[in-house]
Formats: sequence, C-alpha cells, structure tokens
Amino acid sequence: MTARAATAPASLAPPAAREPLIRFRAVELTLAGRRILDPISLDIGRGEFVCVVGPSGCGKTTLLRLIAGLYLPSGGQVLYDGKPVSGPRQDIAIVFQDYGKALLPWRTAAGNVSLALEAIGMPRAERPARIAALLATVGLSNHADKFPGQLSGGMQQRLQIARCLAQAPSVLLMDEPFGALDAMTRQALQDEVLALAASSGATVFFVTHDLEEAIYLGDRVVALRPNPGRVADMFDVRLSRPRDQLTTREHPDFLRLRRTLFDFIKESEA
Amino acid sequence: MIWRRALWLAASVLVGLGIVLLWQLAADARLVSPVFLPGPDKAWAALERGFASGELLDKVLGTVGRMVWGWLLASLLGIGLGALIGISPAARAYLGPTLEFLRPLPASAIVPVAIAFLGLSEGMVLVVIGFGALWPMLLATVHGFAAVEPRLYEVSRALGLSRWEVIAKIALPNALPDIFAGLRLGLTVALILAVVGEMLASREGLGLWILLSARAFRAPDLFAGVILLGLIGLVSAALLSSVERYALRWRTPVH
Amino acid sequence: MSGWRGLVVPAGIVIAAEVAARATGLQSDSLARPSEIATAGAAALIDGTMLHATGQTLIAAFAGLAIGTSLGLAFGILLGLFRTASRLAAVSVEAFRPIPSVALIPIVLLIFGFGYRMEIAIVAFATFWPILILTRAAIAGIEPRLLEVSRALGFGLGRRVAKIVLPAALPRLFVAFRLAVGIALIVAVTVEITGNTLGLGYALMDAQQSLRPALMFALLLWVGLVGWGLNAALLWAQARLFGPAAAVEAAP
Repeated sequence: MTARAATAPASLAPPAAREPLIRFRAVELTLAGRRILDPISLDIGRGEFVCVVGPSGCGKTTLLRLIAGLYLPSGGQVLYDGKPVSGPRQDIAIVFQDYGKALLPWRTAAGNVSLALEAIGMPRAERPARIAALLATVGLSNHADKFPGQLSGGMQQRLQIARCLAQAPSVLLMDEPFGALDAMTRQALQDEVLALAASSGATVFFVTHDLEEAIYLGDRVVALRPNPGRVADMFDVRLSRPRDQLTTREHPDFLRLRRTLFDFIKESEA
Repeated sequence: MIWRRALWLAASVLVGLGIVLLWQLAADARLVSPVFLPGPDKAWAALERGFASGELLDKVLGTVGRMVWGWLLASLLGIGLGALIGISPAARAYLGPTLEFLRPLPASAIVPVAIAFLGLSEGMVLVVIGFGALWPMLLATVHGFAAVEPRLYEVSRALGLSRWEVIAKIALPNALPDIFAGLRLGLTVALILAVVGEMLASREGLGLWILLSARAFRAPDLFAGVILLGLIGLVSAALLSSVERYALRWRTPVH
Repeated sequence: MSGWRGLVVPAGIVIAAEVAARATGLQSDSLARPSEIATAGAAALIDGTMLHATGQTLIAAFAGLAIGTSLGLAFGILLGLFRTASRLAAVSVEAFRPIPSVALIPIVLLIFGFGYRMEIAIVAFATFWPILILTRAAIAGIEPRLLEVSRALGFGLGRRVAKIVLPAALPRLFVAFRLAVGIALIVAVTVEITGNTLGLGYALMDAQQSLRPALMFALLLWVGLVGWGLNAALLWAQARLFGPAAAVEAAP
C-alpha cells in the first residue's frame, strides 16, 4: 500500500500554503567580530518539516540556535508566532547531536524524562504515568531504571527525544541528531521521528549533513552556503507520506532531487 | 568469578597473616629490642586488657568523636562555600588565587595560631581539624561546580529550569564525584589532625594514649593504640566509599 | 588575564586588619598588625633564622621523600607489573596504608629520639603509600600493546622496566611525585609542631610560646609561601617536561 502511494504522482497540497509559525526577517549574526550569517529571510509553516543542509561552517546550527533563543540576532528579527524570540521557551524543544553530553548521567532514563516534567511544574503524583507513556513512545519501557551510561547510543538519543516530547513542544529543533549513529539505527530513528511529527503535528526544524536524510524526512530542504552563511536555494519535496525506507528512496523524484542537491553542495564547496 | 575473587582474597589474607607471623618470630628471636617492637601477642594482650578495663574504648570514642565532628563541620562549610564560589565566575576570579595559595599550606601550621587564640582546649583541636579538612572539600566543590558540561546549561535553558533548579538538579549532582574525593581526603586529614591535636593539647584520646605509652615505655600499649588508629582509618574510609559507590553508581556502567 | 582581581581580597584583608589594629590601639599576645608582621618577617629573613629553619625543614622533608619515593616506586613497579603480587599484597597494603603517619611519632621517637632521623622516618612512611598506590596504578594503566612489544623484542625484566615501563608511566609518576612533595612538607612541619626541635614548625611553636605573634604570623605566611612555591615550581616543570596535556588527574 505504501509502495503504491510513494510511486503515485505527487498530489499533496504544496507546503507553501501553510501559515508561517517561525519567520526570519533579514536576520544576521556576528559573534566576537566574526560574521556568521548574512541577512537571511525564511518562513517556516505550522506543522512543516524543514530540513537544512550545507557544508560545514554554513550556519546550519546557528539558525537552529536562533530559533531556540540560545543566540539573539545582531540584526533583523526572528519571530515566533508573530512575536520576537527573546530567549529559550518551553514549547520549543532541542535534540542535540551529542546525546552523551546532553543527558544527566546521574539520573536514570525515567529521571531524565522527569527533569522536563519538573521544569513545567507537573505535580509529583502525575509524573510516573506520563514518564511511562513517553518512554513507551520511544520504545524504552524496559530500560526506565537504567542510567544513560548503560544505554547504547541509539537508546540515549531516543531518551533525549522522549525528554523533548515531555515538554509537549510545538517546535522540535533537531541538530544533526543521528550523525553519530550507525546506519541501521539511524533509519529506524528517522521513521520514528516521522511518525512522531505526524502524530503530534509539531513543526520540525532538522539540521543534517546527510542529503538523503534531508530529502527522506523533509517537506522542504533549505540549502545554505558558507562564509558567511546564507540561503543558497530551497527545494520542495513532493514525495508522498508516509514515507518508506525502500520505496521512497528509489522514487525517481527522490533520485532527481538527490542529484540536484549533490551538484549544489559540490559546487558550493569548490 | 566470585569464587576466584574469594580465593584471591583468602590468599591475600594469608599473606597478611604471614607478615604478622614474621613479626612474631622477629620479636621472639629478639632481633629488635622488645622496648621498640613487642610481638603481636603482646600487642593483642594489651588490646584485650585495654578494652576489658573500658579505658581504650573511651580513647577510641574520644578520637573518633573529634575526627567526625571536625570533619562534618568542615564538610558542611566546605561544600556550602565551595558551591557559592564555584557557581559564580566573579567569586572564582576574586577568591580563586587566595584559595590556591592556601591549598598547599600545611594545616598543622595553624596549630600555633589556634593555640594563641583558644589555648590548649577542646575547641582549639576542633578548629584545627575543621580548618585542615576544610580545604580539600572546598577546593573539590569549587572545581565540581565550575566544571559543568556547557551543553547541560543549554539543556536547562531549553527546558526552562529556574536558577535554583539548575543548582540543585544540575550543578550539585555534577559536583558529586569531586565532593566525594574531597570528603575522602578530608577524612584522612581529620584523623591525622585529631591525633596531633590530642598530643599537643593533652585531650583524652588515642593520640595522647600512644604518646603517654611511649613515654612510659609501654610498647604493647603503644602498638595497640597504633593498630586502633589504623583500624579507624580503614573503617571510616570503607564506610565512606560504600556510600560513594551507591551515590555514584551511575558512573560504573554494568551491561 | 584578569589576575588583579585575585589580589583584591588579600589586599583588602591586610588593609582592614591594619586599620582596625591602629584604630583600637591593638595590644595582644595573639594578634599583630600587618605592618608588624611584615617587619618581623623581614627581620627574621635578614638575620638568617628563617632561612636556617627553612633549610632544616626542607632537608628532612626531601630526605624522607627520597626514601619513601624510592621504596614506593620499587614496590609500586613490582605490584603494577605482576598482578599476582598485587592481588596477594592487597590486604596487607590496605591494612597498613590507613595508619595515620603521625601515630608513628611516639614509636619512632623511642627508636631515634628527637632530630632529623625521626622526622625523616615519618616523612618516608607518609610518602611511601601514595607513591606505591599511584605507581601501581600508573604501571597497570600502561597500554598492554607496549608490554607485548617489549616481550616481542625479547627484553628482560630490567630492560623492560627501563626502556618501556618507566618512560610510558613517567607523566603519571611525576604527578604522583608532585603530590608526595606536598605531603612531605606537610608531614615535616607537623612533626616539628608536635615536638621535634627543628625547622619551621618548631620556630612557629616557639614564636607562639614566647608570645611573639608578629613573628608567628610571619612564619605562617612564609610556610604557605614555601608550599606554594614548591608546588608552582613542580607544576611548571611538569608542563615543561610533558606538555600541557600532562595535566592529568592524580587520582588512581
């Protein structure tokens, strides 16, 4: 069934029709006298899955941190729901690439999820049920009492995702989340993230250096150029959903887009 | 696996007993004058005699009490102050160099100062123990609070944790391994200073006991006291490290 | 570097103490004005008594350190290289190590009486254990591949230790040595304070008992300075010899 859907001609509504949740208005950034971003304008729709690719030093992660409020722009504005971003907020969750550093090593898996619930002030009595549900969502029910040091890399990243979901976020920011994982684990997690995004309706901003990952996951792929970082091009991905690791990746549209992006990256690195 | 460990332990205990046996033989053969080196049998008899009369138990309690109180005092102060200094980069910049200067200062060097202020009193001994044990704790805590993984601060900002929550839930647990290292070192220092303080201020305890035994040439009593001091060191360190193993169990991955 | 901020607190304390002492017309057997402390310190430095006492303390500390370090190193290498020996000695090491070094003062006093020999013996005992433990850990932590290489080259025990084991463990051994220098100084001063009629510790006690607080505080600061200077010199040497990467933790 999925196979037929994937090979069918693109019939989805174009993502551009959606109302923007996040707007970059001529956002520029200079850190310690170094120009990191030239003015960038970009709209991200509510519920949209945007992937950002580009060579290293192009400011992919910087864009993510600007949305998160971890950086503030030196010029222009980042608007969230119409209002300027002034700092981190609880409905925007971040999944860091270095899960080993972003988890509390002294708390169990359940304890790490609990941290986010404590932050939003959920009463102690209500936490265990919510924690159990979240751990079940990412398939860690059997590992609730293990410490991060006892979990594999893929499990630790699942745990970080569970902690982010505990914030019930409207926006999920993911900074090369699967870059350090092996290929099999990566594919499994890609599908889980797609399912989570579809079921929660969250907007996802996904930074990656893996072009195929960007196409496979995204509604739209934003390509950046480095030194200083700026938007070079944008590509709508009109592949049908739900996507499938085999059929989607063999779809002619997928292959065509992959070719385009490869050429673009090669050219901008030259 | 467990059997092999037990076997090695048994062999190791046998080696220890062998050393005691050599000591006995050396004493019996009078290789060293019994004034300096009584046999283990004599030391054991002195232990039995001392505990039967209740005298040694009093000394043990005196020394252990002093050591523990001084150590607790130093721990509370050291961890509290260390947290305050460690959490604030400004406090570190102003106080750090002073602390670094005081770190290698032999704690016993403040004994004369403490005597000048407090005389040869119980309070003087406690102050010296507290002061000496304070530094390892304070410096370890400062280090632990200062060395929080920056990513964890970003995580706590993204989660919207309050400043107090960051201290209690991120910085303090992060400093725990360092704090335990400080606690362990502080315990050793506290025992040493308890003995020194008792010797100098003539306070009831094992330190004074071994000093007086030596002056009266009662070598078996002296050895009994030294053995007990070794035991106090051994047991207190073992208790602390079992607490540490539990509190830091997340550090040893068991698959 | 914002090093000046580190001077604010000590300078503030000195000025506050001076002002307070002058304002109250301080007359005390236990306190002294900072200016008096400086004068007393300078006088003791010029008439040579302070340097003489420093020399005595350092001689005793380093002689004890030399004995403790060589014995600790020898046993540490033995236990580090041979796991059987290490396992067999485990209980004995753990039983002897926690004996506080100062508890041996009365015993050693019986044997040697007051003087250098007694102080040296205590320092040797106190430095022996940390050196033994840290050496054992450093040797046991050598990359096993290196030991296989030495075996493949057909080295005997002597050459294996000299050419492979010691060089490989050297950075960590130096850290252990730096730790032991600190312990040696602390123990030497402690023994002197407890009664040995030598060195800085005795000078400190003497200044207190003869009610000269200015000299007492001057000596206290001097002891701190000596300890700090030794540690700084060793840190510098460590960075020079092994590079900044050698700032490894001393923990076993």
